[in-house]
Parts: sequence; structure tokens; C-alpha cells
Amino acid sequence: MLGTLAQMGAGFLNALTPINLLMMAGGVAMGIIIGCMPGLSAAMGVALMLPMTFKMAPETGLIVLGAIYCGAIFGGSISAILIHTPGTPASAATAIEGYQMTLRGHAGKALFTACYASFWGGLLSCISLYFFAPLLSQLTLKFMSAEYFWLSIFGLTIIAGVSSKSIVKGLMSGALGLLISTIGLDPITGVKRFMPSSYFAEGINTTCALIGLFSMSQVFVLAEAKIKQRARATKFTDKMSLTREERRLIRPTIFRSWIIGNLIGILPGAGASIACFLGYNTSRQFSKHKDQFGKGSIEGVAGSEAANNAVTGGSLIPTLTLGIPGESVTAVLMGGLVIQGLTPGPELFGKYAPMTYTFFAGFVLVQFFMLGIGLLGCRGFAQISRLSDAILIPCVTVLCFVGSYAIHKNIMDMVVMLVFGVLGYAMRKFDLNTAAVVLALILGPIGEKGLRNALRTSNGNISVLFSSVVCWVLIALCIVGILSPIFMAKMEKKAEKDAVAGTEEDIEKLTEEDSV
Amino acid sequence: MKKILALLLALCMVFALAACGQTVAKPAEEAKPAEEAAPAEETASEGWAPGETVHMIVSYKAGSGTDTTARILAQYAEKYVGQTIVIDNIEGGSGSIGWTQLADAEADGLTIGFLNLPNFNSSITQEMGAYTIDSFKAICNHVTETSIVIVRADDERFPDLESLVKYGQEHPGELKASTNGPQASNHIGAQAFANSANFTYIDIPQGGTADELLSLRGKEADFCVVKTADIVGQESEYKILGVFSTERMAELPDVPTLGELGYYPDWLGSSRLIAAPAGVSDDVITFYEAAFKAAMEDADYLAAAEQAGVTTDFKGAADTAALVTQQQTFAESLAEGFWYE
Repeated sequence: MLGTLAQMGAGFLNALTPINLLMMAGGVAMGIIIGCMPGLSAAMGVALMLPMTFKMAPETGLIVLGAIYCGAIFGGSISAILIHTPGTPASAATAIEGYQMTLRGHAGKALFTACYASFWGGLLSCISLYFFAPLLSQLTLKFMSAEYFWLSIFGLTIIAGVSSKSIVKGLMSGALGLLISTIGLDPITGVKRFMPSSYFAEGINTTCALIGLFSMSQVFVLAEAKIKQRARATKFTDKMSLTREERRLIRPTIFRSWIIGNLIGILPGAGASIACFLGYNTSRQFSKHKDQFGKGSIEGVAGSEAANNAVTGGSLIPTLTLGIPGESVTAVLMGGLVIQGLTPGPELFGKYAPMTYTFFAGFVLVQFFMLGIGLLGCRGFAQISRLSDAILIPCVTVLCFVGSYAIHKNIMDMVVMLVFGVLGYAMRKFDLNTAAVVLALILGPIGEKGLRNALRTSNGNISVLFSSVVCWVLIALCIVGILSPIFMAKMEKKAEKDAVAGTEEDIEKLTEEDSV
Repeated sequence: MKKILALLLALCMVFALAACGQTVAKPAEEAKPAEEAAPAEETASEGWAPGETVHMIVSYKAGSGTDTTARILAQYAEKYVGQTIVIDNIEGGSGSIGWTQLADAEADGLTIGFLNLPNFNSSITQEMGAYTIDSFKAICNHVTETSIVIVRADDERFPDLESLVKYGQEHPGELKASTNGPQASNHIGAQAFANSANFTYIDIPQGGTADELLSLRGKEADFCVVKTADIVGQESEYKILGVFSTERMAELPDVPTLGELGYYPDWLGSSRLIAAPAGVSDDVITFYEAAFKAAMEDADYLAAAEQAGVTTDFKGAADTAALVTQQQTFAESLAEGFWYE
């Protein structure tokens, strides 16, 4: 144990060399820029930089990649907040509350919240990386087909939470998303489903759909308002900070989102895009200020951003201990490890421990760079919210097209993005929920594969879905997820009634006293 | 103030364009050498050599197995090719999008790429793209990985391959094998093994090899077929019961071949080979064949490849072309009566 502690300390000293610090700052800055460009995801940023790390020392190379990873996940929130364009799918849930805050002239506050929550989410996730990596990696082995099925069902229960206006319309949107998610090769038999060409073999690209549904549709909405000459005039009463009360308010949210993000990060295939929705939804369920949700809640922004940054540390756990990358970014990172001649597994904590702990220390320090650079940059970024729509509309349009093209360098991606843009615009007109479509699009394939594979292992016997403790825990969470919005709504109504009744009683009392 | 901001936004977009600028600019770049390459060919008496940056298409993501090995080779091959080699990752469509692009690329020798057998062959039989094996000219083979049958190291039911087969025969419909996707390479392996050894199993398709191994370790599957390089560094977790080869592998002298025990007699595995669009002249093939041969014999390359666990296996253009044809015939033979209903 003492030996391990000494190695951890040595790791920090190694990480503090000037070259490493420089790389951290550069990596974070680059990550933030990549992250806030729609279409340029964290995975792409890491992949772009990967060849440049070959010539570096292994730990320095890994630190750069880790810095880009963290920076990009945070960077996605900037465009999500300012122009309703999640830079990466990981910030989809941040756009819900963040953009509302911008509309109300609190863009600076929203950015600060995102930065602050990302910092804590990332920092806390290092704790589990440091101390519980081998233990938590066992969780990866507990998640088999049946568990993934229930996880996706649990994720889908969030639809009830994100559709504040009408649950029925939320469910309709979710069903549409599930339907779209069936496009592509059947994951079990390989049969072509709804595929006009091989472009659709791997299904609809989530990022393209996301850019279309969130950003392009937003452009249409803005353009329409402009055409009608009803462009909004926002008052700016903005500050780049949070009051002490507000910080206290989001503290429990950050803590919960850390746990959620970390656990989701450990599970391969789930990833930051699901974590942000789970974090957002949980912050809503526990919030004492539910009326703020949908109108720009700092708790909502913090819940989403802390969760997606907590994924970073979590997803490194199975990558490093089992050689099973949790998501596409860590898959690229693992490619980097292999090229450096390091194979993931126990050796990383034995023979290569000095390098591993230097990387961990670098990962901790990266969070501080992210906070500093993020806050500095946000001051400038926040000004974008003051731009007139006449400038913003063409800029966002270009970003949407460039972003979707950049994913695979394929023209078809731009077409798909545009189709989803029109779809998103129509959905907004009918008060349907675009976030629910994205959620279903991400979770649909996971749930489908999980259910069908689980039933294959049991020859069609349905009891396999209830055969493990993890299954039952997830089922319980699903039930809570479905019932809690209904209960909460009733409780709120009751509380309101009580409050109203209370004041009436008081008035009666007063009048009685008067009459006496 | 507004103007400055507008300028900043414009700069942002320029950056975004620059990020994908490499490929945006490519068509223009490719158009040029077509005119220049012709006189160059005439003047150089020893044959053809590329006059500009060479692009290599990898049909999978950056950081994937093919990408990793391709980048290591590219790094050391630049010396022999005499030009910068850029790896273009064109993923999607189970590889078919990248291969379509390679087949359609200008036949000026400046765009070459990797073909992955047997996935490439299945993409043709499944009509994923408009190309056939005749749309490409093979340059040389780079990496060969042999398929192996593995079980969990602590699974006492299966000390050897025969016990696995016996269990499968005695408990029909119970044995489960995870695969790397429906009718993907490792599914083909498991099916070929089961067909030849006369037992039945249930396949559990996963998204890729990492998930396939996870499914085995999580005890959802009983056995699976993977390639030798997939379990590097994780050897203690698995038991290798058999190899799909005609003779025992030097690294695994104690592991029997499937053929030895009377099961599937041929070699099975995957190959990563380098090819060019079919239209290129034979000089181009000759040039790259020699350049990559030299790179694969380079001591620095070999050291880097060994460190990364890459099993280099150079084969000349003729042998490689024969391999593609043989694998294509095999892939087409799978259409009738190979899979379970």
C-alpha cells in the first residue's frame, strides 16, 4: 500500500515537468475548440492527435490525449449553451437548460456552471480511477446482454423527465427515435433493414442526427422569427460567476452526477451521451426548484456536465485494467497504448506503474487546466450570445454542414443532417421532443441487441432477464424512473394546495381576530 | 464590438474547415498529378515513382487494429517510398465505404489502401458496394493473423478441444459462442469449426472483438473464435484449445491444429493487404511491392512492430492476389448450407 502511495506521489512529480504541463495546457485548449465545433467529437480530436504522440514519451502522449478528451467533453457544452448546438453528443442534455439560460441573458452564468461542474465531475472521477480501478473493472464483467437491455430501458424512462410539457408527445418522439434506430444491418442476423444503400449499414449516424435535430432546426426557428421581424431583444444582466448559495445548490447535484457518470463510464458502449441525460434527469428529480427546469436551471446544466466529465475517468478503468475500451475515445486511446508497446492489463499497474501513475496525475492536473482555460475562454465565448441573429444564422448553418461533413468526410452525412433538421423543425412546431428522439436513437440499438442476445442465450426463456442482482437493481430504477414524475407532480400539487390553504387559514384567523 | 465577434466566428469556421481541409482539398490535388505523372513516367527509366504525397485509405476508425498497424508501416515506409504517406480513415458501412472510395480513386498510384480479408470478401458477397475483387490490384500482404478457439482459463469443463466438441454433441443447443458480428470473421470461424466437428452452438453476436471477449469473460458465452493478436497481454485469462492452421504455430507449439484432430483442415484467419485501384499500371505495383518489402524488412520497423504485437507477413503481389481469390471463393461457398437456418 505504502509502495503504491509512493508511486502515486512520484507520478505527480513526473507529471509536473514543463513539457507535460505545456502539453496539458495545449491539449485542453485544443480539446475545448474541437469540442465546441459540432461534428468534431472528442474521439475525432483524440484520433487526430494520436499520430503526433508516437514520437513522445508514452506518459506525455497519454497526457495529451487525456487532456484533449477532457477538454472536448467540456467544450461541447459551450456551443450547446450558446447556440443550442451540442458540440459533441455528450452535451445533448446540457443544451436543454443551458440554451434557456442564454435566452434569458444568463449565458455567462451557464458557461461558468458548465465549467465548474465539469471540473468537479472530472476531478472526482479520478478518485475512482486511482483507488478502485481493479475493483470497479469487475462491474464491467457483470454487465451482459440482459443487463444492457435493462440499462437501455432505464435510459428510456428519462423521456418522461425531459418531456415537461406532455408525456404522450414525449413518448411519441421516443417511439419515432426507436423506429429510426432500426435502420441499418440487423445486429443479430445481419439482414439489411430499411437500407436504400450501404451507407446506412451502421444505422443513422447519431452525431449527424443530433446536429440536425438540435442545431439546424434551431436555425430554421431563428430564421422564421427573423423573417417575421420578431427577433428577440435580450436584456443582459449577466455575471461570469455563481453566488455562494448557487454553488451550495449544485454541490449535491455534482456529487450525484459524479457517481452516475463514473458508473456509466465503466460500462462499455454506454458512454457520455447517456450519462449526460441520466445526470440531467437525476438533478431534476432531486431538485427543490423544479419550476426552474425547462426555463434555464443551473442544476440541470451542472447535472449534465458533471456527469459527462465523470465518464472520462470511469471509461479509462476497463480500458486500462481489462483492455476493453468503454467508448470510442478510449478505443483510440488504447490504440495509442498498443503503438507505444504497452498492453492494457495488470502489467500497467505492475511493471509499467510509474508511467500509469504519471498519466493519472496528469489526468488530475488536466482538470485544473480545464477550469482555468475554460473560465478564461468563456468570458469571450459568452459574448456570442449578444450577436444578432442575422450574423448567427449563417454562421451556425455553416457549422452544421461543416460539422456533419467532418465526421466521415461523406456528402451523405450532410443530407442526413439536413433531413433531420427539417424533421426537428416540424417536431418543434408540433411540440414534440427532439431530445427524446436522440435518446432513443442512442439507446435503441443497445436495448435491441441486449434483449435479443439475452433471449438467444436462454433459448427464448424470458426468465434470463430477471436472473441477476444487477437486473433487479436496474428494474427497480426503471420503476422509480417511471413513477417518480407522476408522484412528484402530485406532491407538488398537494404542496401548492397546502400553501394556498395555509394562507387562506391565516386570512381567516386575521379576520377573526379583527372581528374580536 | 460586433464586428470583432463576427470576425472571431469567421475564424472559428476557418479552423473547422481546416480541420477537414485535408480531404476537402484532395480532389484538386488528385487532379493535378494526373497530368504531371505521365511525363514523369516517360523520363524515369527505372520505372514509376510517386511525385507527391501518397494517400493510404484505411476503411476503419483511427485507433482501430488496422489503423494502428497501417500507421506503423507508413511511418517506416516513407523512407522507401520517397514521399510522405498520409493515412485516410474512411470508416463506415462495415468497411465498404472506404473500399468503394479506393476502387473509385484515380489510378495514378497516389491513392492506395488496405483490404481486410475476409471482411472485404463478405462485403462483396453481401453486395455492400459496387466493387468486386477485380476492382483492385494487390500490391502485397502486410499482416496475417490466424484464428484460434479459446475458452476461459478457469473453465474446468473444457481442458481440450475434444471435450468442447463432446459437450456440444451431448448437449445440443446449449453451447454458446460470442462472435464479432453476424457472419463476421469470427462467426465464420466458429461455424466452420462446428460444421466440421459435428456439433451445434448458439452464436451471440457482439459489436466487435473487444465485446466478443467481454461476453466470454462475463460467462455469457462458453467459447469463441478470435485471432492471435486479439488476446495479446490477456493470455492468462484464456485457454487456447486449437488453431485454424495446416501446421502448429511456432509461438504455440503445444496447441493442436483443428486439422490434427480431424476437424476443419485449412488455414483460417484474417489478412491485411495493400492494394491499388485496378486501373494502375504494373510499374506502380512493382514500385510499391519493392518499397513495402524493404520497409517490412527494416530493422526499425520490425522492432516497432514487435513492440506493438504486429505479426508481419510479407507476401508478394502474385501470392496476395491468389489469396484474395481463394478467400473470395471461400466466402461465396458459405452461401449454401454453411450457416444454420
